[in-house]
Amino acid sequence: MLAVKTDKLTKNYGDFKALDELELQVIKGEIYGLLGPNGAGKTTAIKVLVGLLKKTSGTAQVLDIEIPNKQIASDIGFMPQETAMYIGLTVHQNMEFFGKLFGMTKEQIAIKEAELLKFVDLEDWKDELVQNLSGGMKHRVSLACTLIHEPDILFLDEPTVGVDPKLRANFWKYFNKLKENGTTVIITTHYMDEARNCDRVGFMRQGKLIAEGIPNEIMKDTGTDNLEDAFLHYATIGEASDGPTPDGGGE
Amino acid sequence: MDLGRILAVSKRVFIDLKNDKRSLALIIIAPLFSMAVFGLAFSGEVENIGVIIVNHDTGMDIPIVGDVDFADQVIDNIDHDTLDIQESDDLVTAIESLEAGDAWAVIYFSENYTANTMASIIPFTNASSEIELYIDMSNVNLAEAIIIEVNSALMATMEENGGSLPVTVERTEVYGQNAEFMDFFVPGIVSFAVYLFTTLLTLMAFIGERVSGTLSRVLATPLRESEIVSGYALTFSIVGTLQSIFMIVVGILAFDVMIEGNILLVFMVVALLAIVCQALGILLSSFAQREAQAAQFLPLIVMPAFLLSGVFWPLEAIPAWLRPASFLVPPSYSITAARSVMIRGWGLDMIWMDMVALVIFAMVLLTLAVISLKKKG
Repeated sequence: MLAVKTDKLTKNYGDFKALDELELQVIKGEIYGLLGPNGAGKTTAIKVLVGLLKKTSGTAQVLDIEIPNKQIASDIGFMPQETAMYIGLTVHQNMEFFGKLFGMTKEQIAIKEAELLKFVDLEDWKDELVQNLSGGMKHRVSLACTLIHEPDILFLDEPTVGVDPKLRANFWKYFNKLKENGTTVIITTHYMDEARNCDRVGFMRQGKLIAEGIPNEIMKDTGTDNLEDAFLHYATIGEASDGPTPDGGGE
Repeated sequence: MDLGRILAVSKRVFIDLKNDKRSLALIIIAPLFSMAVFGLAFSGEVENIGVIIVNHDTGMDIPIVGDVDFADQVIDNIDHDTLDIQESDDLVTAIESLEAGDAWAVIYFSENYTANTMASIIPFTNASSEIELYIDMSNVNLAEAIIIEVNSALMATMEENGGSLPVTVERTEVYGQNAEFMDFFVPGIVSFAVYLFTTLLTLMAFIGERVSGTLSRVLATPLRESEIVSGYALTFSIVGTLQSIFMIVVGILAFDVMIEGNILLVFMVVALLAIVCQALGILLSSFAQREAQAAQFLPLIVMPAFLLSGVFWPLEAIPAWLRPASFLVPPSYSITAARSVMIRGWGLDMIWMDMVALVIFAMVLLTLAVISLKKKG
């Protein structure tokens, strides 16, 4: 059962191919990590899958529905790279607003809000304006708003950027809990070390998936002891077959 | 469209405005400030215009009647609050003072002024009498006030002496009896303020939404572009109405502005204008990449409305070839309608054309605003 399936998914900006015939398959209920350097196409892939960008060609299905399709929006949770919160509103007002966009009642919102604020450790900041919070706290509010409607599939674009190591560990615990409840989680990150927590990872480079697999198996296959070296291994093979690239190969 | 989501957006925008003290101040204090400035500066009469009178009139001794001096009578009939009169014996010195900018006009009565005036009253003599006026026309408003004052003093003197014009104008005021500048100005500034602040606030808010990523974020939820625009329209129509209520109440209390018609019609017109303006703000935001660029739109937003909407001077004062451009400026319809309701007491049957124009503007701009939000990379 696939949660996401793309076939030759391409996104062009003029002559630049942000996604180049991407073939991606994410199994329902797994945590899938999209890894790669800046400009590899991770964020573009996610934005196309959540319907924010128009694909140039190819096909993409999310939860068996061809996208773009607004019908699946209520089953999707999207946390963008930027904090993207209403900073003139309090934490509670933000959560209530996002809850209402998904048609939740006040009671449903109140229950879920209490649970999520406890999880992100912001119970005492509920009535504080978001603009008064630190960067890390804003990120935690952002995650809480993404989870308010208990989505079936989560697209998290660099969710742990600016989050301290202790809280980052908590985030991963929570992602695993979501997975246990059947939620599919797709995470982009350039923290290669934390990507070990994923069930499977896909390495992206120049809009393409250059390798994919279970983290431990990838490291075993490449004879490395970390995912960063594994990525470099595949990137070097790619460069050898592509010829030299203008930026020296990605990063 | 889902009403629950529209209301959620509307409430969110309300809270954002409520929590943003600077925006609140902008909405309330700035229009009041401009009302006060214009009210105090322009609503009063022109006063204390410096003029020099050179009176060489020797008068006339008429049997039975005695000494007659028309120049003195004219000078007595001049409103000394309007004209600040200095007297001089020498015309040349007086004109030099005028040329030096020490006075706005020199009024000269010749030696034979009374004699000539008497002669001109007698039929078939072909005699004429004149007051010589040397005037600085560099300030048209002051010059006109001087000319009007001298003419009315002259007319009053003629009437006192039994003379009158063969033809008089009988005036019946159909609308706006005792109307003053503020009666004309308040309906205009209300629409102008709502236009300006609604467009600016929406423009800033939407550039902020685009830059911060909140717009992308909410568009990845079930929320549709049309629901965002509707939510904003709902909030700003209410905010615009509240703003106009506030300004009109202050207008009544501080300047005693006249309200001859149904004031609810004015609020309806202003609410419609606010809907047009928020759509315009959203549309303009799609052309900006960051908040600082909003400032570049200011001339585009302010100048057409300032010059072509009729807020400060009537549309008839605009050159005929430029007048059709005012049809493209939404506040011109609400200003015309609000003035007609407040001063003429007109009802919906008379202002419906202006309202239809605003509805058409709203429909076109709302559609374009939704299209601009749907435009994806």
